[in-house]
Amino acid sequence: MVVGYFFLVLPIATMIVFSFQKGQFASVPGQGWTFHWYVKLFEDGTLLEALRNSLIVSPLAATGACVLGFLAAYSIHRFRFWGRGAFSVLLILPVLIPPLILGVAFLGLLSRIGLQGQLLSVILTHMVIVTAPAMAVIQLRLGQMPSSLEEAAWDLGATSFQSLYKIVLPFALPGIAGGWLLAFTFSFDEFIVAWFVSGFEQTLPVAVYAYIVGSVDPSLNAVGSIVFALSMLSLIGVELLLFPILLSQYGSSEE
Amino acid sequence: MVSASDSRPIPAGVLEAAGDGGFSPIKVLGIGIPLVYSLTFFAAPLVFLVVLGFWLVEDFQVVPAFSLENYLDIAQHMFAKSNYALAIAQSLWVSLSTAFFAVLLCYPMVLAIVYVAPRSRHRLLLMLAVAPFWSSYVLRLFSWQILLANKGIINSALAWAGFENLQINLIYTQTATRIGLIHYLAPILIVVLYVTVANIDRELIQAARDLGATRWQAFRRVILPMSRAGLLVSASFAAIVSFGDVLAGSLLGGGVGNSVLGSVPLFSTMIMTEYASSTNLPRTSALAMILVLVMVLMLAGGAALAERGKVDAG
Repeated sequence: MVVGYFFLVLPIATMIVFSFQKGQFASVPGQGWTFHWYVKLFEDGTLLEALRNSLIVSPLAATGACVLGFLAAYSIHRFRFWGRGAFSVLLILPVLIPPLILGVAFLGLLSRIGLQGQLLSVILTHMVIVTAPAMAVIQLRLGQMPSSLEEAAWDLGATSFQSLYKIVLPFALPGIAGGWLLAFTFSFDEFIVAWFVSGFEQTLPVAVYAYIVGSVDPSLNAVGSIVFALSMLSLIGVELLLFPILLSQYGSSEE
Repeated sequence: MVSASDSRPIPAGVLEAAGDGGFSPIKVLGIGIPLVYSLTFFAAPLVFLVVLGFWLVEDFQVVPAFSLENYLDIAQHMFAKSNYALAIAQSLWVSLSTAFFAVLLCYPMVLAIVYVAPRSRHRLLLMLAVAPFWSSYVLRLFSWQILLANKGIINSALAWAGFENLQINLIYTQTATRIGLIHYLAPILIVVLYVTVANIDRELIQAARDLGATRWQAFRRVILPMSRAGLLVSASFAAIVSFGDVLAGSLLGGGVGNSVLGSVPLFSTMIMTEYASSTNLPRTSALAMILVLVMVLMLAGGAALAERGKVDAG
């Protein structure tokens, strides 16, 4: 187990340590400490712009995915309708298809309708992919809602819109927030679909890839450390939001 | 796949208030919006992918056609020039072995978390295991690159510690590809396997032990059979992801990473680089269709094997 954890943590520790190291080619023993790479990163700008693009794309894709995911999860939870099973399979399916295939397919269609090579294309396609994880978390949360809650609202005279807005939505909120974070993370890290559809409007992973293929530059370690610090923040968010939902699902069967 | 398959009882009140047979606006919007979105931006591109494979490029323009030219050309290069067959073989070999080693790493870790670590620590240990997942995949691969490079961190650390003869040459081999893939897959597999193993009823294990089973026997006869589903799911997930991944193969495998099969690129990497150099979308679509086909065959083969294993075990 110790070996396993060492393996998991090693590259991340490397990234953080060597983002502060002087030598361009990382080696041991180190060559002294510096902030040089962080300075270079902010002076250069390519990667920062990609980071900015990613910070536009991922929140919007995650928000869109949560809207779609909530609507779908609620419909599946509340209503019986013909093709209900097929409906949920259709929405889950994008995560099971290799992103490479999706990337080619998305580009094929988007380039026919002139929607390729923009941030919008990345947002639209990422929404397809990250709806599934968002929906799954929201479904888990809705599954924990006692049906009596909504029925009581109806008995007290609430319309279905009112009960949806005042009862279901607040109850599902932790699930929506957890789903949003998960969707954000998936979108933020997604490479191949963005590579195909983004053109010159590169997102962070695409820009980083282009950078790595071109050169060895510890600035990347600096980006990595910043991204990791950001993700740690979202990880704390997930810890607070997602784990209670997941554990209450499985916790009961463990006791 | 139709609603008849699930028949959970519905509280009467729900039916009444929702007017289930009718069309409440919420129901129409709730189903309609995701459905329309998914059909336009998910189903339509996939259908179009199949169609596009038959189209042609003339004067750098994609032209609608119904031509088998792309497929015929690919078939001609199966064993010559581009050598698609070898690339497919390399992909199969790398993805299957990656799946095997990924499970081999994660399953013992999960067993240790569930059965050795105190329960109060489970959450912390899981959090730690999942942590790498939240950092960027491309950047983790870069990090592996500088770790594994010939004059990289591992080798220079070994030399510094006095093991000058003990140098590894992993970078730009498919072994490095596997390391990158396993590092990517491990957090996901650990969560899947944790859910499986943590749900095994401890009383069953206790009962086996009370009846005189050794620890090993309890593992072989109780824990292992009961983790079967989780192991199968995580192994096939790992194989699919590895088969479709392009990053580890190009960054750590160096495009044409060496393996037992020789210096052959992965099929997925090949599709990407071909598109990058030719931007011939119809041909890329045809290649992508072949990738789908191989993957479906691989899954069907896996399912058949699993089915036979079940019969043998039962």
